[in-house]
Amino acid sequence: MGRQTVKEKAVVASGLCRQFEIDDVVVEAIKNLDLTVEEGEFVSIYGPSGAGKTTLLNLIGALDKPTSGKIVVFNHDLGTYDENFLATFRSVYIGFVFQSYNLISTLTAVENIAFVIELAGWSKQRIKDRSEKLLKLVGLQHRGNHFPAQLSGGERQRVAFARALANDPPLLLADEPTGNLDTETGLEIVGILEKIREEGKTVIVATHDEKLLKLASRSLFLKDGRLTE
Amino acid sequence: MSEISFPVKDLARRRAQTALTVLGLTISTAATVFLIIFGTNLGFEISFLARGGRLTSGFSNIFFQFILFVSILNLLTGPIITSFLVHLTMSGRMRDIGVMKASGCLSGAIFAYFATELSLLVFLSTLTGIVSGVAAFYASTIVLNSAGFSISQTLNLAAILLVCIVLIIFSHIFGALPIRRAAKAKPTEAMSPIYKLGTTAGLGKKVPSRLGLTFKVAFRNLLRRKSATSQAIICLTVVLTLATVTIAGGIVANQTTASYVERAIGRNIVVVGHPTLTDRYVNLLSRFFEDKELEQIDYLSSEFVISESLVSKMEDIQGVDGVDPRLVLENSVREVPGVILEPIEQTEAIMIGGNRSDEALILGVEPEKVANDWLIFGRKLGENDQDATMVGDSLAVNMFSDALNQSIKVFDETLLPYDIVGVCVDPLNNGKVVYMPLETLHKDIGQHGYNLLFIQVDASENLQVLAQIENEASAENLKVVELDTILDKHVNFLNNIWSLVMLLPLFSLATAAISLLGYLMLSISGQQHEFGIMRALGAKPRSIMKIVFSQASVIILVSGAIGISFGLFLTFRFLIPEPVISQSTLISLSAWLLAILGLLCVSSLYPALKAVKKTVVDAISAVE
Repeated sequence: MGRQTVKEKAVVASGLCRQFEIDDVVVEAIKNLDLTVEEGEFVSIYGPSGAGKTTLLNLIGALDKPTSGKIVVFNHDLGTYDENFLATFRSVYIGFVFQSYNLISTLTAVENIAFVIELAGWSKQRIKDRSEKLLKLVGLQHRGNHFPAQLSGGERQRVAFARALANDPPLLLADEPTGNLDTETGLEIVGILEKIREEGKTVIVATHDEKLLKLASRSLFLKDGRLTE
Repeated sequence: MSEISFPVKDLARRRAQTALTVLGLTISTAATVFLIIFGTNLGFEISFLARGGRLTSGFSNIFFQFILFVSILNLLTGPIITSFLVHLTMSGRMRDIGVMKASGCLSGAIFAYFATELSLLVFLSTLTGIVSGVAAFYASTIVLNSAGFSISQTLNLAAILLVCIVLIIFSHIFGALPIRRAAKAKPTEAMSPIYKLGTTAGLGKKVPSRLGLTFKVAFRNLLRRKSATSQAIICLTVVLTLATVTIAGGIVANQTTASYVERAIGRNIVVVGHPTLTDRYVNLLSRFFEDKELEQIDYLSSEFVISESLVSKMEDIQGVDGVDPRLVLENSVREVPGVILEPIEQTEAIMIGGNRSDEALILGVEPEKVANDWLIFGRKLGENDQDATMVGDSLAVNMFSDALNQSIKVFDETLLPYDIVGVCVDPLNNGKVVYMPLETLHKDIGQHGYNLLFIQVDASENLQVLAQIENEASAENLKVVELDTILDKHVNFLNNIWSLVMLLPLFSLATAAISLLGYLMLSISGQQHEFGIMRALGAKPRSIMKIVFSQASVIILVSGAIGISFGLFLTFRFLIPEPVISQSTLISLSAWLLAILGLLCVSSLYPALKAVKKTVVDAISAVE
């Protein structure tokens, strides 16, 4: 799957709906949502807990499929593909930073980063160089051989960023990246996101953090499954 | 909230995990209960054959030993699988224990709370397992009996109770271990996955780079989930030991017992004698597979005597490999007590045996000419033996305490007893036989000559030789009987019993595979979260399947290497004396074992398939 080089729309969602059925109760997490994100844009999505931010990121990141409506990411209509194609799509186009880090507990920090590019079939030397470069970028070159459980929350989040950037994806999705961190560590993450923005990557961040909101070129408010500027 | 309602609600909230654990434990319990009841009833069946005057003690011992061995292994396997399932479930709760400790709960209260959960799981599964096991037993016996078998449907309540107690005790001990460990640990330790998994920093660092990514991930996963991996290997090793013993034991024991019969009766042997005596001999051989009452005859009657000249003529026939002349008669025999060193201290002599007596077939033989090659404990009669005897297995077991250390009186009570130098496994007269030197027999009964000739015929010239033997025999009004036909009946009889006994290993195998599947399901469900992350990062469902398959294959191959070697060692060292291992045995054994390993590897794909069928979001949300 080759990446597009001409500048284009990164995300186009129209009439997007996502419903969940929990104990016979239908919950509408996303309601008839329209969204367009240009390539290179830094968009922040904010809103109260339970507003549907994570669900929206999951849909954009091809982790979930909409109940109805359409979501097109880099010209790929995600609702029309099977799981195998979506897996490849994720590994090429998407870097995902989860709120709860979601590092693989049986892999060390450097192995967590390398996993993504190993999946992409990079050579051993390139994997080593890239992993070390990213560890340096997030300031964790001395903690590469530690398991996630041996790292602090901030360090785990930095590893999660390094992993999300490993395959140099054009779209970075970050779900509350500073939500579990103290102010100082949160600032470190903001610093990393600034660097990423300067590289011209498309970034969509779900956050409550004012510093991140200020960093964004556009902030969108999500409430009850609907977006407003 | 009452003390019991909290654990009940907790189990109900974790519906999927609880259901999976209960299902795994139920299957394991049901399998154990089923196999124990089935094995006991099969044992009764064999014992009924032995009591009914069929099967010699030597043969029924082999069947018994096999059933007992497999039953003991089953009784061990059930609790081990059950215990590990419980251990695995409870290990998954270590984080919760850490959280409870961190929020100020006392260790004692935590232990009591999780122990209650453990007891609820164990008792519920044991109950459903016993009901399912008994139902499976009735269903199987109905199907088998309608297919021509005759397996009793009596329930052995003592055996069920024993299984129940053993399973409950083992499950509580193994299930309580991780709870105790976590309850004693610091909250931070108990909450750490590293503590739960038993991971150490150096493990899996150096993974061969030539291996593919999926195998590397699988390999690291295995090494770093040290506790779970070692549990799985131990569990599977026991299952595979059981499978090897049952399959190898079954195949080899079947062939070996057939060979014992063949060696005892002899292949390509014809018996020549007076029609009354040859028929008698055939009837005495048939006692192995059918209970026959025989009239008394005078073996020493002059009409049964075979002339020396006939023996010479037979020896001169081209194609006759040997002539084994015998004098056969029936007489009562009596046990003579023996003296041995006290077995434990070995310092003082003690008396063994008594004065039991029985009727036996006495065969006077020329030791150097004997055509048979029995399985013998001790030694066979030698050329220079005079006052020595070799007794049959049933006589040795039923009339003596330790035949090889005792002696036997055969005729005149005033005569000195004969030493017993060997015990042979012999279907003749159902193992109640005494072989002694012909010369000694002649001397003791005061009569010379033979009444039966055993002639070993060259198989390649069988028809012509038989014609000549029949020619010579009919000239003296004697009958010629080929023993091959009766030998085939013996082998068929043994095959029929083995086909019944082999149901036990087949059922054990099936249940072991199902139990293993339950174990894998539980183990993989513990890794759902990480598989979800991998998929979110771009791993295809096929890659996850490959990882699970590689993990299962490594575990299966390691356990296979240990379990199969150990199983073969147990089988050949303890289960079957002088096992017959032909090329075809090795081929069929290898095919069976490879099929088992293959089946187990393939069975790991089912839980893997279930794992990848979940959506990525659901998989990530799965409780670690």
